[in-house]
Amino acid sequence: MQALNTPLLEVKNLGKRFRRAEVLSGISFSIFAREIIGVIGPNGAGKTTLLECLAGLLPYENGTVTWQSSHLNGKSRKDALFYLPDGVIPYARQRVQSVIGFYREAFGASMERERKVVAQLGLDPVTAQHTGELSKGYRRRLLLAIALLTRHPLLLLDEPFDGFDLRQVLNVMAILREVVQEGRTLVLSIHQLLDAARICDRFLLLTNGRLLGAGTLAELQEKAGKKAVSLEEVFLELT
Amino acid sequence: MSSREANGALSVYWALLRNELRELFASRTPWVMLLVLAPLVGYSFIQAVSLFSDASQSAQGHPELARGMTPLDGIFVPTFGGLYLAVTLLFPFVAIRTIGEEKQSGALKLTLQLPTSVSALVVLKFLAVGCVWFLALIPAGFAVVAWITMGGHVYWPELVTLLVGHAIYGLAVAAIAFFAASVTDSVATAAIVALALTIGFWVLDFAGSSTAGWFARLSFLSITGTLKDSEKGLLAFSQIAQTLVFALGMLWAAVAWLPSGTTLARKLITVGVIVFVCAGAVAGAGEIRLYADMTEDRRNSFDPAQEAALRQIKERLTITLYLSPDDSRAREMESNVLAKLKRAVPRLKIRYGAVAKAGMFGPSNDDRYGLVIYEYGGKREESRSNSPREVLPIVNELAGLSVKAGDTSPFPGYPLVTKADALGIWFYVLLPALTFLAWWYKRGRQFDRGGTL
Repeated sequence: MQALNTPLLEVKNLGKRFRRAEVLSGISFSIFAREIIGVIGPNGAGKTTLLECLAGLLPYENGTVTWQSSHLNGKSRKDALFYLPDGVIPYARQRVQSVIGFYREAFGASMERERKVVAQLGLDPVTAQHTGELSKGYRRRLLLAIALLTRHPLLLLDEPFDGFDLRQVLNVMAILREVVQEGRTLVLSIHQLLDAARICDRFLLLTNGRLLGAGTLAELQEKAGKKAVSLEEVFLELT
Repeated sequence: MSSREANGALSVYWALLRNELRELFASRTPWVMLLVLAPLVGYSFIQAVSLFSDASQSAQGHPELARGMTPLDGIFVPTFGGLYLAVTLLFPFVAIRTIGEEKQSGALKLTLQLPTSVSALVVLKFLAVGCVWFLALIPAGFAVVAWITMGGHVYWPELVTLLVGHAIYGLAVAAIAFFAASVTDSVATAAIVALALTIGFWVLDFAGSSTAGWFARLSFLSITGTLKDSEKGLLAFSQIAQTLVFALGMLWAAVAWLPSGTTLARKLITVGVIVFVCAGAVAGAGEIRLYADMTEDRRNSFDPAQEAALRQIKERLTITLYLSPDDSRAREMESNVLAKLKRAVPRLKIRYGAVAKAGMFGPSNDDRYGLVIYEYGGKREESRSNSPREVLPIVNELAGLSVKAGDTSPFPGYPLVTKADALGIWFYVLLPALTFLAWWYKRGRQFDRGGTL
């Protein structure tokens, strides 16, 4: 069992450049088991870049990423974490049930797990449709289904509530909380601060590739010098 | 790796392969290729049969003419020529999309996180593309069956050799397409890169057959080398090994370039190492002196007794041709004598002497033009003949070889007067219609639950 005071994932001084532009600089934070971390910040703050660097999908120039105090390399990264990108249409010409079935087999999940995930996310009505024909909301549910079929201890989800209405957002939040109760840890990149405030335990506030603050809402309020204000107000104060 | 882990890995590979096949056949690209291939191969076959039949009619009652009637040259090479065209111009699009579309849609970000290595991913995609190549053989397969049904002769070692040549060529084209898809960001750019490379090899082939400069010397790099040998019924293992090394190098480079989390510098270094290793392997493969003449008429080799004698030559045999390499006499000598000598004589040097080239419409002013000089162990002979009947005695005499002609029965040839026009309906209508129906069925089919094919 992971000791509560030992970070699951530790990032130190992470830096990333796209040609001459510095898109991430001096990012350091820790993530503990069974937490829900919200990466928040304005558009272009570097949220997706940060997640893709952690997932090993983008190279980074500076910094270290450790998993349970060991350097995170290609093999350990594949075992430790799974990143769900935003705006991806996997296998647009295949049917939803084929795509879900493929990921279930690839990640070694059971049929029972697949049925549960499909039911939880309300994908039943569209299983015979091609993934390329899905609406934005169903496409998002399909992607979430893929993430839930994995068995990685840490899930990095990019904009998991994008394309959902309020009821659907609340439903997905309930599912994600259940995922955490199962023992997994979540890092969510969210641009809707209201959604982030509803579900996240701690926040990483990014702007212009720099980490302006990290902590619980109370800790960020203290940093902003404002007590009993919303996350939105803290965000406006700090950015 | 424990047996449980091995089983887990195998089930992942199996799931990946089935998914690749589903994805491949869900797109129109392979179907279009198969649809185009049927009339293309059919037309080639029907025309080949017609020409072969006309020539056979003239050869009736003339054994000398009949000896030139070989189904390999007359029927199978032209028929499979349709496959060559489709593989060169259409197959890259089929192969590119297995990587290119995932890159373009962003789905590669999910694929790269699957519990398997990038090399396994690429190999499985390659296997799926290989299945399309096998399906592409169907029209040519029907042509072979039709030929046999008409009473045509098939010498299977020749036909299998031809298939091997096409398979290796297809493998190299697919590897180029994978590399192009790996290094570019869009399917369209990858297609341009792949076609530039495959069509670039045509230029190399042309240079190799018509000029003698450094550009022509590079023609050994062409991936069509194995195919051209196989069309002559020859298995040249050095050429096969070189093409395979090239294809594996391309695939290896595709594997090295695909992971998005690797820096450009590291990718460049890895590809540099791959180029270095493959260049060494290609050079090494060039030293393989192993050939198999698979033809029934043994057109790629001399009489077995003569071949055995030539292999015993210890010193270097130097042949200097005072001919332009694109002169028809030089080409004839190259195919009838020099190519065979290269395969048999351990140490052979062939060079073209500097002569004033013949004008476009008139003869060369240089008296030496047309002369061929043979040098061995300080001895020298001259001749203007390009026929093996005259060249071999010169070589034998220079090297002190005593060769008794073997007891080989002459190749009879297989002329056949027949017609294949009626098969037009099969190749132009029925086979394309069946391909279309297969696509329609596949398109409308409800896949099983669990993602099975």
